[in-house]
Parts: sequence; C-alpha cells; structure tokens
Amino acid sequence: MFLLETRQLMKHFGGIMAVNEISLSIEKGEILGMIGPNGSGKSTFVNLLTGIYTPDKGQTIFKNQDITTLPVHRITEIGIARTFQNLRVFQNISVMTNILIGRHAQIHNSLWEVYLRPLSAWKREKAAREKALEFLELAHLTDRRDELAKNLPYGEQRLLEICRALASEPELLLLDEPCAGMNPVEMDTLAEFIQRIKASGTTIFIIEHNMRFIMAVAERIVVLNMGKKFKEGSPLEIQSDRGVQSIYLGEEEDV
Amino acid sequence: MPKISKKSAVKFNVISHLAVIAGLAVLPFIIENPYYLGITNLILIYTILCMGLNLILGYTGLLSLGHAAFYGLGGYATAILMTRYGFSFLPALIISGLLALIFGMLLGVPTRKVRGDYFCLLTIAFGEIFRLVAQAWIPFTGGAMGIVGIPIPRIFSWTIRSETDFYYLGLILVVFTYLSLVLLTASRFGRAFVAIREDELAASVMGINTPAYKILAFSIGSFYAGLAGSYLAVYQTTITPSSFRLDESCLMIIMVIVGGMGSLLAPISGVIIMTLATEAFRSLADYRMLIIGVIMVTVLLFRPQGLFGTAAFKD
Repeated sequence: MFLLETRQLMKHFGGIMAVNEISLSIEKGEILGMIGPNGSGKSTFVNLLTGIYTPDKGQTIFKNQDITTLPVHRITEIGIARTFQNLRVFQNISVMTNILIGRHAQIHNSLWEVYLRPLSAWKREKAAREKALEFLELAHLTDRRDELAKNLPYGEQRLLEICRALASEPELLLLDEPCAGMNPVEMDTLAEFIQRIKASGTTIFIIEHNMRFIMAVAERIVVLNMGKKFKEGSPLEIQSDRGVQSIYLGEEEDV
Repeated sequence: MPKISKKSAVKFNVISHLAVIAGLAVLPFIIENPYYLGITNLILIYTILCMGLNLILGYTGLLSLGHAAFYGLGGYATAILMTRYGFSFLPALIISGLLALIFGMLLGVPTRKVRGDYFCLLTIAFGEIFRLVAQAWIPFTGGAMGIVGIPIPRIFSWTIRSETDFYYLGLILVVFTYLSLVLLTASRFGRAFVAIREDELAASVMGINTPAYKILAFSIGSFYAGLAGSYLAVYQTTITPSSFRLDESCLMIIMVIVGGMGSLLAPISGVIIMTLATEAFRSLADYRMLIIGVIMVTVLLFRPQGLFGTAAFKD
C-alpha cells in the first residue's frame, strides 16, 4: 500500500526547472532514500511535499487524500513531519519546550479551555510532557531536557530536531540531509536512531549526500538528476549502476 | 553552593509570593504621599500596557509601534460610554478591552503575512490614523480638547475616588493581566508564539497556523492596552489625543526592552525605571528623552536581552 504518491510533480523558478515531472511513491513502513548531485532538486521536492512550495503542476496524494495545495501546518496535522537541511531547532528555548512545540498539533487545548478550564488544560499539558519524555528517551536526550537547544553539541541538535518532528506522531517522516556536518561517530548514532524510529512503525524518507550512510540505511533509493527522476532501485542496484556513477563522477571521457 | 531540595524550593517560592502580595496590599499605607502614590498608579498603568506589549513583542517577536492607539481606543471608549451613554465603569471597562481586541484583529488580518519591518510601519500608520481621527472628529471625540468630566467609577458598592482606591483598582487589573498571561503563555498557544519568534517557517512545520497565531497574539496584547486606557480615562477624568502619540508607543517599547523581553515579569523593572526617570527629570522638560535614550543604549550595550529578559532581538 502506498502511503504517499506524487504524480508528475513540477516546479520551476524563472527559467530553471527545479523539479520536472517527478512521480514516485513511498510505501508504508519503508525507508526510502533520495540522492542526487547538488542542484538536482531534492530539497525543492521535499518543500513541495510539505507545502512550503506549491507545485506548478502535478499532485501529491497522502493516505488517499489530495494534499497538493494544503498549507504547511495542515500537512503536519494530517501526519507528515520533517527536518531541515540547515538545522532549524528553536535555539533559545529548552530542549523539552522544543519537543512540546513539535507536539503542538497533538495537544488539543482550545483557548477557552486554557482560560476557563485551566485544570483540564493543565492535565493535557502534563500528559504531553510525559509523552515528550518518551521521545527524548528514544534519542537518549533525557538528561538534556532543561538545557537550551543552542547549548547542545551539533550532533545532538540534529537528533533533537528529529525528536521534535517525531513528537507530532507523524506517519511519514522526511529527513533532509540529516547527516550534514556530522562526524562518523554521530552518523552511527543517527543510523541506529533511524532504525529505532522505523521499528516504531513510522515510514521514513531520507534525502542524503553521504553515500555510505544512505546505502546502509535506505531500503530503496531514488536518484534525481537535473530535476528529473533518473533511476530507482535497491541500494545494490544503484551502487553498481554506471549511469548513476557517471552523473556523480562525470562521463569517463571527461575525466 | 548547598543543594536546595525541591520541597524547600517550592516552600520558598510560596513564601516569597505571599510576601510580595502582602507588600503590594499594604503599599498605600507605606507611601502616604499622594504624589508618590500617583506615580505608583502610573507604574501600574504602564505595567498593564507593557505586559500586553511583551506578548506581542517579547513572545511573538512582532514590533508594534501602535500600542498607544489601542490604549487610546480603550480610553475613548470608556470616556464616551460613561459620559454620553450612561454606562457604569465595569461594563465600560470590558467593552473597552474587547474593542481594542477587535481592532487588533482588524489590523492583524491584513498585516498577517507582511514581513517584520512592514508590519512595524503599518502599526505606526494605524497609530497616527487613530490619533488624527481622535483630533479631527470633534462631535464624537471632542477634538484636541478631548472629553472631560468622566464620572467617578463605581464597582458595585465600591466608589473609586482617592489615589488609594485607584491603586487597588490598578493592582486588581495588573493581577488579572498577569494571571491570564500565565495561563496563556504556559499553554501550547504561548509556546506557539515563542516558536514564531524563533523561526516562523519551522513553527509552521510544527503544525502552527502562523498567520492566525500572530493575529491572536496581537489582538490579545491589544486587549490589555484597552483595559489600561479605560483605567486612565476614569483616573484622569479627562481624555485627550495627546496622551496617545507615537512617543507613548515608543516609551512602552523602551520599557519592555529595558526590562527584558520574553518573560512575564521582566518588563515591570523597565516600567519602574523609566517612570521614575521621567518623573525625576521632569524639570528638564523635553530633554528628558535624552536621559531615557542614554538609559536604553546603556542597557542594550551591556545586556541585549534587557535586565531580566530571556529573548533578544535577532540579527
């Protein structure tokens, strides 16, 4: 069963075709990877899926529902969460509050309850705090809960950003270059964390530059080149594909 | 440093709160001089205004230079309702707050998607429009002379007449403002405001409808300004457009910045320092602004987050 499907998704900026008729599907429960050289349209593609950009043409279907034109916050509410390539945790706020903000859509207190039924609102807040601790546990960040996010080492901030996305209890988690700037040890921690997320039943879509990482983590890989889908297959197939090698390394005669 | 147990920390917290409440309750008996009590009442008014502005500026990160207009809306609403339509104070107070809230929403809707600096310009424009209308619409607002003879307020059997009475009325409003803001800022709404301040795009990805939350913060913050204006109307018994100039909005911003943004009580320190400074240098007339400027620059140089604040302006 497909969890998410894109149909001929297209987006151009001026004369540049950033995403050109990309159709792909993400199956429930899998870890799908996406690779491609710089400027091949990977980040634009994620921005299209999450509503930050609206496509010029094409459709996005999530759980049999057309989400192509939904605003960003609605897409989060129906179950897609994401992280950013250039790390966007809320710097001046505690780790715990970061997670609670991530849980925004799951805390169903209305303004009236906040003011007029503060006790029942407080109970929901307390439940949210307990739940937030579970996510911190998953990333081994429980001891850090009261620290400001900016005081965490880089690798932990990356994990925190993923935790914050998980806190909305998404069915689909999009990770945009999660290991950018990480050292090999941090990468191992991340790979292990991703496996734990998958085990909890979340479908994961990873965009990544680091080949070693993506080959080890993803079950299926889509290759983009110049805004188009170039190839799709298992990590082994992609690794041994001469076409893929050439878009990364250039044609043999160029070398 | 010896480790303080959680239980004794809570106990200390309760005791210190009780001490503050007791101190505030008996303050008029300590400051007997009506002039000083008058300054205290001014501090209470600015505390309400700045707590509301802090929600907009310190929590949500929206630079509003039109706060005085909402203050004025509340003032004129109470003045007109009480002098012309025979309203008693309590309903006039509530309507004044709600009117500021509604105008906050009306201004918030068209400005919800503009970037920070444009938002700031639009609030200045709104403030000026308000002041000009108040000055020019003579049959309704009394023009530059304003509205005089606002009746003495009564709440049930309590007639509010002396400086001490007004002190307690102001204190009740401050406590109401504080408690309602505690409820709001500790909820997912307050966190959403902070998230917008920190990173608006990331906030929307967290499922926060950022335009709607910006309107919400702006109109709730303006609501308190309406209450403060209503208090001012009955306290002064007159209301004139000159009380609601752009200078006034700037002064409130300075108070919030000096006291500290993003924490509920921090702006109070800014309010106290700035009110006392303006009073102490009253003899210098307009040159007072020079001293206020020096205070602000000094604070910003050494403590960009304000005296007790948690949030600073971003680059």
